[in-house]
Amino acid sequence: MVERQAVPVRKSRFAHVPDDGAKLKMLHFMKLVREIEDRIERKLYRQGRIVGGVYVGRGQEAISVGTAIHMEKDDVVAPSHRDMGVFLMRGITPRRIIAQYMGRRAGLTRGRDGNMHMGDMDYNVIAFVSHLGDNVPVAAGAALAFTQRGEKRVALCYNGEGATSRGDWHEGLNLASVHKLPVVYFINNNAYAYSTPMELQMAIPDVAIRASSYGIPGEIVDGNDIVAVYDAAKRAIDRARSGLGPSLVEFKTFRMTGHSAHDDAGYVPPALFEEWQRKDPILRFEKALVDEGVLTPARIEEMQKECAAMIDDAVDWAEQQPFPAPEEVTRDVYYEGK
Amino acid sequence: MSEYTVSAPASLTLDRTGYLELYYFMVLNRKLEERLGILYRQNKVVGGLYSSLGQEACSVGSAYALERGDFLAPMIRNLGAMLVRGVKPVDVMAQYCARAIGPTGGKDLNLHFGWIDRGIISPISMLAALVPVMAGIALEMKMKGKQNMAITYVGDGATSTTDFHEGMNFAAVQKVPLVVVVENNLWAYSTHVSRQANVVDLVVRAEGYGCYGEIVDGNNVLAVLDATRRARARCVAGGGPVMIEAKTFRRKGHAEHDDAGYVPQEQRAEWEKKDPIDAYRRLLLARGLVTGEPEITEIDAKITAILEDAANVALAAPFPDPSTLMENVYG
Repeated sequence: MVERQAVPVRKSRFAHVPDDGAKLKMLHFMKLVREIEDRIERKLYRQGRIVGGVYVGRGQEAISVGTAIHMEKDDVVAPSHRDMGVFLMRGITPRRIIAQYMGRRAGLTRGRDGNMHMGDMDYNVIAFVSHLGDNVPVAAGAALAFTQRGEKRVALCYNGEGATSRGDWHEGLNLASVHKLPVVYFINNNAYAYSTPMELQMAIPDVAIRASSYGIPGEIVDGNDIVAVYDAAKRAIDRARSGLGPSLVEFKTFRMTGHSAHDDAGYVPPALFEEWQRKDPILRFEKALVDEGVLTPARIEEMQKECAAMIDDAVDWAEQQPFPAPEEVTRDVYYEGK
Repeated sequence: MSEYTVSAPASLTLDRTGYLELYYFMVLNRKLEERLGILYRQNKVVGGLYSSLGQEACSVGSAYALERGDFLAPMIRNLGAMLVRGVKPVDVMAQYCARAIGPTGGKDLNLHFGWIDRGIISPISMLAALVPVMAGIALEMKMKGKQNMAITYVGDGATSTTDFHEGMNFAAVQKVPLVVVVENNLWAYSTHVSRQANVVDLVVRAEGYGCYGEIVDGNNVLAVLDATRRARARCVAGGGPVMIEAKTFRRKGHAEHDDAGYVPQEQRAEWEKKDPIDAYRRLLLARGLVTGEPEITEIDAKITAILEDAANVALAAPFPDPSTLMENVYG
């Protein structure tokens, strides 16, 4: 008889601690994510310089950065639309990302698609699919290919908590667990799936509970603590790479914006924003690094300016790029070879 | 190995009539399928034949827990549940033989028919597709304050599907009165459950939805009845959906056209010893619920006679008239 019995969920053990180099790298990328997204959402979008909608991951930067830092060159990643850090850490430049948002030919989709609907297989980044959860079986398939070829590669896959209600998510996790595939499933549990709060999405308090449905480890992590994210991600990725199968890692976080730039999130109680503002992952990490003596406030200020300068450059460059020519419209519909 | 026995759970209340009815329906289930097997080989059956040999206790025990106003959606192996809910052998035979007097007038085959007036929703071939359907019916019951439940069945394989996941999640969030019986018969067509799910007990999935789950011996009709009654009480009282995993075994192939050569002989032999009807018959005798072997033989003979009559009526009936082809295409 089973009724809410023990669930294989454990707290982080901080087995893996980033060294100073990794800490500085993570802070840089978190700040770069915040800078590029703020620029896109709060300036370029409002100035009418963006084509289409805008979806950002403000408040969730620690998750994409703290996980992607562990990727090897040949690993494959299937991010969601709140994982800008994955793109930047994989080496995709701010110039190309801004060009993508502006619908320019120099963007990742050559001006064919908008915003985060982008990927680049040269960097092993699988393009985001709008329908959350769709990337779960895709990532399982990539991992299955690695297994069949005997490669030591892993696939990483990101979704929100809402996606875990979907059939694709279930079928993908089931397949990955039956075949013990080298894939890690990350959940950015940001409390709202568009306007649906967690309690209307599922009858359980933690997504990680679902890991037991697949006989895989499930872990709950403070998604706004990048050191905890770093540690949990490292363990899950190491586990996958060593052939022990998939894991489910739930990062508790909060979406500090609406679903998109056109959503004022009036359905979110203001107190929640205030509570989570105090848990801002960047401010928290900066304070920790200053306390540890790794950084000075002056150096943080400099890092901020460096990020702003990179985005200034990206915007200037992107705006000089042409839109796709109308006669190219039938190109890129089907694969035409590299 | 000691003989497989079944016993009544302590929480079960059942009078002698109830005990005998459970026996009657299990034997009716089995003999009707045996008779259909003969008709199949005589080319009288149109289309496939799906047997629930060895799983009769799951169907009969669970359906026997239903009350007036409850809704049931069977799958292809739940003939017994349909019989308990009032479907007659002649209906089933006419349906399998595609005769005009059958429930779909010869338009659809095997158990693909429902009976809304009796609270039976037609099975859908794609397993687990009925989970969200029944969650919807249960939602209606909850919204209207009815003291009823909806019940449906899936196999082990169906728990890997989208519909199962989305339906269970929805039912759990909305706390609707839904009971899902997972008949874990170890094989989803030719896929063994170990290649289907990375868990030993499928019921652990109940936790992932935040609903109550329970494992039951699917070959013990009394245990299935008791578990379903308790599940009914729980979900009708607002406790949310319940998942019952009935451990059982599919003793024939996926269908009559499948010889199940992929199933190890030893596994089959092991489960033949756990026959739900043989074990139940021993219980009836041991507990003095029947006067002796002759009474059992009498019940069996009565069922054989009913089936003989039903076969005669069904086979004497005409096929649908071609002029009715366009009827019942839309509701």
